[in-house]
Amino acid sequence: MRLTRRTFFKLGGAAGALTLAGPAPAAAATSKVPGGSMKAVLVDTTKCVGCRACEAACAEANGLGGPELAGDDRVFATPRTTSTRAFTVVNRYPGHGGTPDRFVKRQCMHCVEPACASACLARAIEKTPNGPVVYHGERCLGCRYCMVACPFEVPKFEYESATPFIRKCTFCPERQAKGLEPACTSVCPTGALTFGTRADLLLEARQRVYGSPEKYAQEIYGELEAGGTSWMYIGDRPLEKVGLPASVPNVAFSSLTQPALAAVPFVLTLWPPLLMGLYTFSQRRKGVDAAATTDTHEVRHE
Amino acid sequence: MIPHDILTLYGAKGLEYVIAIAFLVLFVPFWRYAMGTRPAPEPAFVRAAQAAPAHSDLVEWFRVARDVFYHPGHAWARAAEAAGAVLVGADDFAQKLVGPLRTIELPAPGTAVRQGEPAWRLHAGDKALDMLSPVDGVVTAVNREVLDNPDLLRDDPYGAGWLLQVQSPRFAAQRKGLLSGRMAHRWIEDATNALRLRMSPDLGLAMQDGGVPVDGIAQALAPEDWDRVAREFLLS
Amino acid sequence: MSSRPATLTSPQPWFTEKVLMGQPWAEYRRNLFTPFNVVAALILAVGILIIVYRFAAGLGATTNLSQTNPWGIWIGFDMLCGVALAAGGYTLATTVYIFGLDEYHPVVRPAVLTGFLGYVFAVLGLMCDLGRPWNLPIPMVYSFGTTSVMFEVGWCVMLYTIVLALEFSPAFFEWLGWQKLRTYLLRATIGLTVAAVMLSTLHQSSLGALFLMAPTKLHPLWYSPFIPIFFFVSSIVAGLSMVIVESSLSHRAFQSRVNHHVDMDKLVLGLARAASVILFAYVFLRLQGLADSGRTDLLATPLGLWFLAEIVLFAAVPCLLFAHGARTRNATLVRWTAGWSVLGIVVYRLNVSVVAYNWEAAERYIPSWMEVWTSLTLVTTGILVFRWIVNRMPVLQDTNGH
Repeated sequence: MRLTRRTFFKLGGAAGALTLAGPAPAAAATSKVPGGSMKAVLVDTTKCVGCRACEAACAEANGLGGPELAGDDRVFATPRTTSTRAFTVVNRYPGHGGTPDRFVKRQCMHCVEPACASACLARAIEKTPNGPVVYHGERCLGCRYCMVACPFEVPKFEYESATPFIRKCTFCPERQAKGLEPACTSVCPTGALTFGTRADLLLEARQRVYGSPEKYAQEIYGELEAGGTSWMYIGDRPLEKVGLPASVPNVAFSSLTQPALAAVPFVLTLWPPLLMGLYTFSQRRKGVDAAATTDTHEVRHE
Repeated sequence: MIPHDILTLYGAKGLEYVIAIAFLVLFVPFWRYAMGTRPAPEPAFVRAAQAAPAHSDLVEWFRVARDVFYHPGHAWARAAEAAGAVLVGADDFAQKLVGPLRTIELPAPGTAVRQGEPAWRLHAGDKALDMLSPVDGVVTAVNREVLDNPDLLRDDPYGAGWLLQVQSPRFAAQRKGLLSGRMAHRWIEDATNALRLRMSPDLGLAMQDGGVPVDGIAQALAPEDWDRVAREFLLS
Repeated sequence: MSSRPATLTSPQPWFTEKVLMGQPWAEYRRNLFTPFNVVAALILAVGILIIVYRFAAGLGATTNLSQTNPWGIWIGFDMLCGVALAAGGYTLATTVYIFGLDEYHPVVRPAVLTGFLGYVFAVLGLMCDLGRPWNLPIPMVYSFGTTSVMFEVGWCVMLYTIVLALEFSPAFFEWLGWQKLRTYLLRATIGLTVAAVMLSTLHQSSLGALFLMAPTKLHPLWYSPFIPIFFFVSSIVAGLSMVIVESSLSHRAFQSRVNHHVDMDKLVLGLARAASVILFAYVFLRLQGLADSGRTDLLATPLGLWFLAEIVLFAAVPCLLFAHGARTRNATLVRWTAGWSVLGIVVYRLNVSVVAYNWEAAERYIPSWMEVWTSLTLVTTGILVFRWIVNRMPVLQDTNGH
């Protein structure tokens, strides 16, 4: 998690901060894009037809027992969220006045600097250098702080279990390690899901969006949100209107708590001399008072 | 933090300055308001049985009250509300020395007492010892509650554990011969040192650590004839 | 009157003297059946069953927590409020040992005991809330999530509970008669107090800092980068108010154990003065937070009015009442104000964790009866333990131990 630690030191502003040499070791094109060399996915909602092959592939790859109401369009009646049994869902947003329906796939966004990973006190969620944000259940305490931290409401908790885990999309790290694409992107028939490096995909997204302004809304969701996500979205409708959370601040969420955490070493260093100074002062005052009134033994503090 | 645009930022920061200045301006008057107090109301005459707890200091192991006058026999006297009335009792040293009491024999109202002469008797274990009166006078009241519950003497020897109310017209003159203030502190220190000299190693270890003295120091020092030790201090 | 000195009467067995307070077992058992004890036993009986069920069946079966509302009253009340109300330990220790105000010595031991028990039961509440509590040693021993505020909270709470135990231990050793150990620990008082203030500053503020991670979920009026400061300052007020409340209740409940020399009214008025000044600053701090949020437009909404009510009713009003009560030497007013102030602290923390959190979500969180009963069980047990200790150990008597 080199990226996160470096940002922590920079933003924390601790005296004598370590200087890490140079920018991210990556190709020149990726050096300016946060997480540029990490794997990412571009979701083009203009191309998704709602076939839900991605849901099926994900369920099979993760042993989740099949998406609900497979092949049944009634599943689109209301937008769903991911769950402990469904790491990805596709939702339908009806078209207005002749525009076609739009389908939007939701899953973990695998942020460049994930809020969940920074929130986890046991490092049970970690950002891997290749991109996937992975969960280690054996370290998890079930405190659910990651759920509080995630602005995309991704981590889901197994409330029904007596030994609960957090469940979410894994980005198929085992498949990626073998050089394969994640299960969902590998079965998408329309090319709505494009797998690649974040820098390349951002370039691709910009080309599509700025190149065809009549076809695409002028935004790339996930370019800046929460400091940048690996799963980025483009489409013809503003993406906040198709279920993606609006007003997510464009900062890495770890930076929101870093000032508070940066104060810790200062408190640990400054409080003892401050308090002992007050103590000495008050003892001296009491000594003066005692000498002034009586010279017998006062109550002794040990 | 939700980022503001620069235009609303001017307003927000300006408002913060205003609030800070308002705080600083209001702080001094508020401090004076909170720290000030109206003068304490004049203490109304209370029945002697509900005497307010005396302010006391801890000298070595014993409480020494600030507003009483001590007789060397470890009795104390304090002017009560009514003219010429004096409250009399046994001090903390005496009650710790003697320890838990079985009962106290107090003189009946109307009895005359004289300074330096035995006035009441403490019963502890199977022994009895007298204590000397600190003042001359006539007993006008006794503390019935202490008769029923001798532990009052231990819990509050200068307040609820008072023993006698004595009509003592010459108290103002007599108290000049009694100990108070710094002299009383020194006297208790001397008494404590005298006790220390007699300490057995076990007891001494506990005491020098600052622990609470055992109730009934005399009994701990000399289990068989502790009343002899006690009388040395109580002068009776 | 409680235990007799063992020197005079024939020595009693240790258990009878120390645990049964000198009463023979039959008499002790008979005296147990008071109305309070019966009610407490009922609460505990049901509560223990609920807690067993919670661990057997999981959180979903016992709580109303959901995927949108992962935190409920076990965090919002047991943890956040429990820790705040236990702050009397470090505030009174600072008053007596750092500022040297010896006149408050009679209340420092009960405050430390309240603090210690408050933290123990807050942690027990946390154990009920954690999904996998058996993994608790992991972030303590080998997997350190150092970027996490929760990590800092966990460590500070653990260390501080140990500090509180050590601060209280002289009373414990006096009960057992272990003088050497007692003296040794008394020497550590100043060091322990400094550690206590450091650790308390850190974790009281960090409990608020937890919510910095949720800018999209916490209502803009409550979301502020200054939440840590608000939590820390209000914890001082919580500590002082709780000491006033606890001492008032203890002095009525434990008449025979109390040192009647002490002028409790005077101490209570002194604490009230301190609390009023701190509340005065706190009110202005909250107003600063409001200005900084840049969302004064939200004040006209229902939640906005509730925000104002929280500051005015639960912070400004007790501030003025404390000051007035101290001025006019009205200890009764001060005691009632302290209770109101405690309520205000609870309201603030529940607002941040439950009311203003997810304020836009359609699905509102209401605690289940089992959650409420569990919290009630923990509080009741805490009171029972407090009473057990106070009845046996030198806590209220202010012996010349420190």
